[in-house]
Amino acid sequence: MIRTENLTKVYNGNKAVDGLNLEIAEGDIFGFLGPNGAGKSTTILMLVGMIEPTEGKCIINDIEVARNPLKVKGIIGYLPEDVGFYGNMTAEQNLDYFARFYAAMDANERKKRIEELLELVQLDGVSQKVGGYSRGMNQRLGLAQALLNDPEVLFLDEPTANLDPEGVFQYRELTKQLSDEGKTIFISSHILAEVSKVCNTIGIISKGTLIARGTLEELKNELGRAGTENLRIIVEAVEPLPEITHEDIISAEYSEDKRKVIIEAKSDLRDYISSELFEKGVKIKEMRMEEPTLEDVFLSVYRR
Amino acid sequence: MEAKGLFNVARKEFIGHLTSKKFIVILALFLIISALAMHQGMDYYNNRLENYKEQLSQIKEVEGMEPGYMPEKPTIMLVFMFMSSHIMLLGAILAIAMGFDLVSKEKETKSLKSLLSCPVFRDEIINGKALGGTLALVFAMVTALLISLAILLIFSIVPSMNELAAILVFGIVSIVFLLAYFAIALMMSTVSGDSGSALIYTLVIFFILGSLLPIVGHTVAGMVAGEPPERPAFEFDIRDETKESEEEMQQYQEEVRVYWEKQRRITDAFNIISPNMNYMTISLLISNPQIYSAVYGQSSSSMTSTGYFTGGGEEAPGLQEVLGKVWKNILALIIFSVVFFAIAYVKFMRMDIR
Repeated sequence: MIRTENLTKVYNGNKAVDGLNLEIAEGDIFGFLGPNGAGKSTTILMLVGMIEPTEGKCIINDIEVARNPLKVKGIIGYLPEDVGFYGNMTAEQNLDYFARFYAAMDANERKKRIEELLELVQLDGVSQKVGGYSRGMNQRLGLAQALLNDPEVLFLDEPTANLDPEGVFQYRELTKQLSDEGKTIFISSHILAEVSKVCNTIGIISKGTLIARGTLEELKNELGRAGTENLRIIVEAVEPLPEITHEDIISAEYSEDKRKVIIEAKSDLRDYISSELFEKGVKIKEMRMEEPTLEDVFLSVYRR
Repeated sequence: MEAKGLFNVARKEFIGHLTSKKFIVILALFLIISALAMHQGMDYYNNRLENYKEQLSQIKEVEGMEPGYMPEKPTIMLVFMFMSSHIMLLGAILAIAMGFDLVSKEKETKSLKSLLSCPVFRDEIINGKALGGTLALVFAMVTALLISLAILLIFSIVPSMNELAAILVFGIVSIVFLLAYFAIALMMSTVSGDSGSALIYTLVIFFILGSLLPIVGHTVAGMVAGEPPERPAFEFDIRDETKESEEEMQQYQEEVRVYWEKQRRITDAFNIISPNMNYMTISLLISNPQIYSAVYGQSSSSMTSTGYFTGGGEEAPGLQEVLGKVWKNILALIIFSVVFFAIAYVKFMRMDIR
């Protein structure tokens, strides 16, 4: 479980993170969204014990990070956004070097674990040194490094940024598998579609403050509605549509052949529209209400 | 502090240095040039040995030679005098090449974040890097000394116990000198934004400390001390020697002594903050102990045709005595390493990881 209490970080008098209170349950896949400079990376760095908070605290599985950074690092895995390795060493040598810091692993365990992970990220059999890796290969090696100690909590910063479609697919599968094993996963990403596909809870941060939190549906309902008061109803018919009137209709935009109309309304008028068209003998091809996407929610929040 | 992390970092750094191309190339160059310098030193030593033997045979032949005068047998440490000048240049370059990108490269390649995500304290990382680099420098120096000993044995010269002790001290002092530049490079690598800047700043410091500072010291000493005292204007005639002229000559000699002493104090004040000058002073006295009499003794000194001091037939001081005289220089070298390592340590501990 991940918890932050009034987490604050000040850089040169500016609050990068301002009184952040978060609680992520065990086994959750939490998506952390926010624009550049919102405080996502600073939050992650405090959570993984790389920087100390100015105020407040981070608690991971009942261990306060600032007080026991090494203990926390022993149970977490971290994939940085711009992950890097030693270019003069192979993937195996890099992982072996990092694995040696974990007290619980002896030489045989290290070897076995590294072989498993390289196979998992499809870097097994790659003998070239890491200096010659593509960014995608680097990213996959970063994922393997984050999983070295079989962590209870995993922090992934832009995990699919450099992956090819096959890599993205494998990453999604792996994330689900890890979640099924009871691991808590914290994902920071700009790729909204990716977050919506993988995460079961989402938090949105802006200017160092958490401004929204919940499941994707909850966010869509709360923020989507709040962001755009009006609804968009799209109607397509087999023959030209008659003019539809209602006091809640704000505007109606017809296509040239009048077979399609986009109605902006104050309320959900689908029942009224279908009755009207039925009475006038117009056959409906399709009628749908446009729901806000995660991107709409995201943008509406930031544009406020 | 967990020693496991420290030794893991040190182990990786040590192997990294030994397998890096730049280390291998510079070390190879250093060893080849050192071996050539040793060969050059062997020629010099053999010449001195021939002179010594000639002098001995002349003493035996000439009747009425003043009893008690015996020429000093040259020591094989003279050979290492030639080596020290190469350590001062190539050795320092090797140390700088090893240290200038130790931290900055990790920042550039982002491997530092990966490393810090592991359960390891920051101080273990910087101390491990320092330890790994130190061990690699020790390896380089030990290799150079072993090659030099092998060359001595090829020339059928077996060092005495005292000479072996002097070689050991020479090796240790050389390592401390190399560590001073390694520490400067490591410090610059920690404070600089990128490896290129770190290298340039380190080379600038190397130039200032190694070349500019001694020149400035010499110039300042000349300016402060002013013109040397003028020799009394009289013609020395052994048949007409007066008490007055004798006193005048003594006064002149005293003024000259005070003048040079003043100059030496000022240049020493500058040289003590130059690792190169400290190392030169120490290695010169260890490798050529007879110079001790010329520099610190009261007796007359002379300079040979090859430009090296010899102490007019006086018994050369022991190693302990020489070390007693250069302890300030040794301490200055140690302080150099410690201060720059300390700056690198503090800066690394406070480094912003974002």
